[in-house]
Amino acid sequence: MSHSLSTGLPPVQQQKDNDGTEQKGKKVTALEPTPRLTGNRQVLVEARGLQKAFGPRKILKNVDFEMNKGDITVIIGKSGSGKSTLLRALAGLTDPDEGQILIDGHTVFADQKRTKEWDNIRSEVGMVFQAYTLWPHMNVLDNLVLAPRKVRGAGASESRDRAEAALAEVGMAHHILSKPTQLSGGERQRVAIARALMMKPKLLLCDEITSALDPPVAAEVLDVLRRLKEEDGIAVALVTHDMAFASKAADRVVFFHDGEIAVNATPEAAFDKCDNEDLKKFVDAVRF
Amino acid sequence: MNYNFDWNVVANAFPAMMQGLGLTLQITVITIVISMILAVPLAVGRMSKIEVIRWAAQGYIEIFRCTPLLVQLFWIFYALPALTGVTLPGYASAVIALTANLTAFMAETYRSGFQSVPVEQVEAGRMLQLSRFQQLRYIIVPQALRQQLPVILSLNISLFKDTALVSTIAVSDLMFISNTISSQTYRALEVFTLAAGVYFAIAFPISLITSSIERRMQNSSGMGAPAPRRLASRMMPGTRPVVPA
Repeated sequence: MSHSLSTGLPPVQQQKDNDGTEQKGKKVTALEPTPRLTGNRQVLVEARGLQKAFGPRKILKNVDFEMNKGDITVIIGKSGSGKSTLLRALAGLTDPDEGQILIDGHTVFADQKRTKEWDNIRSEVGMVFQAYTLWPHMNVLDNLVLAPRKVRGAGASESRDRAEAALAEVGMAHHILSKPTQLSGGERQRVAIARALMMKPKLLLCDEITSALDPPVAAEVLDVLRRLKEEDGIAVALVTHDMAFASKAADRVVFFHDGEIAVNATPEAAFDKCDNEDLKKFVDAVRF
Repeated sequence: MNYNFDWNVVANAFPAMMQGLGLTLQITVITIVISMILAVPLAVGRMSKIEVIRWAAQGYIEIFRCTPLLVQLFWIFYALPALTGVTLPGYASAVIALTANLTAFMAETYRSGFQSVPVEQVEAGRMLQLSRFQQLRYIIVPQALRQQLPVILSLNISLFKDTALVSTIAVSDLMFISNTISSQTYRALEVFTLAAGVYFAIAFPISLITSSIERRMQNSSGMGAPAPRRLASRMMPGTRPVVPA
């Protein structure tokens, strides 16, 4: 059964073969069964036929993308292959030129514009960026409570309680009154995750959040994402070059090549049994 | 040099000059306050996605940036009445000309400050559903103001000195009073030395504060020499910052 039927999408130009592997054009490699997408789990994100060009350069070429609720999807690929553009399109920061995006069954982008449903659903999408985006003139608490108080009208004590809980979740409760400049890179990213959690997202988009961190610190940050998935059921789409994390914690690995999704598979299938030469080259280059 | 100083002239002129200083400070404060407010929408307009607004804002800024302040002052005092039939008093003309001029420079300062805030910080605000106004109010403006504070203070010092130009349209500021006393007593050296001293006494502390803020910002951003302990040392202008290799 195709998930797209259950979410009201028009028939999708996509088939799944007998072992559940998505087939799209010639780029997709035949892989072992992928039960996570075809089981009872509900689809959270569906993007169909996304296209985006910056000037003459096509960054997304008719991309179809799907994510289940509560899954960690790791997106890998070379710089400029379209990973971040896809994330930004899902986040509402970049509008695709063509295509359709559904989140939790709601059409949030169609006919080249955001729909009214996007306004209702956008609070369920959080994003953490590559650069440290904590506001440096505010302490950690103020960074966390600004949006709930100003956007949702939450009270001071309620916001503080929620901030304490979010910080505890990422292991940063003791830094609630620190300034961002007093924190290390990994600590800042954990606070940035906590800030995104304040709006209670169902989907957390993470754009190379560990690229500027040492491997042990990066592992701590990624461990936070794993806990969020396991304990809170938050779906995470993560652009990273950390193959160890991708192989251990990801439910799906999506490999972008030249603006297209070349591989969309389980980590085992993608890393151990995949015959896609581009992916092999990429993984070898990243590992060594 | 065979010049006999007569400091009695200065002592006699001092009260009148202080009265002039009061007007100078009044014009300065009014101009700064109004300019700092008006410059915000002008800076936002300068960055607008709507071309007409952007060009209009840019046009205003360039007109006031690329013409002498004295010409602007004369235009408002002498030329505007010919155009509109309304004659403005010297004081109002002075405030309008200085405000229009400072607003243009202040807007450019704000704009560069706004654009110095990393775009990811603004996008983080967007992701948290902050409105455009809330992004400006809580994320962009506080950081931009802090970043541009030394420039803003420098502009304000310049404006304080430039108020001397209003004496040319008979506004009885410190410079006008000094000039009048000098003409009456033929003691230009004493009178204008005192006037210069008064301007310096007001502007120099602000300049020291500006230097102090700059040094603090360099230190807080991890650049420059460590802050000296003594207050005087901390405020010393012209200290060469040491950028670590």
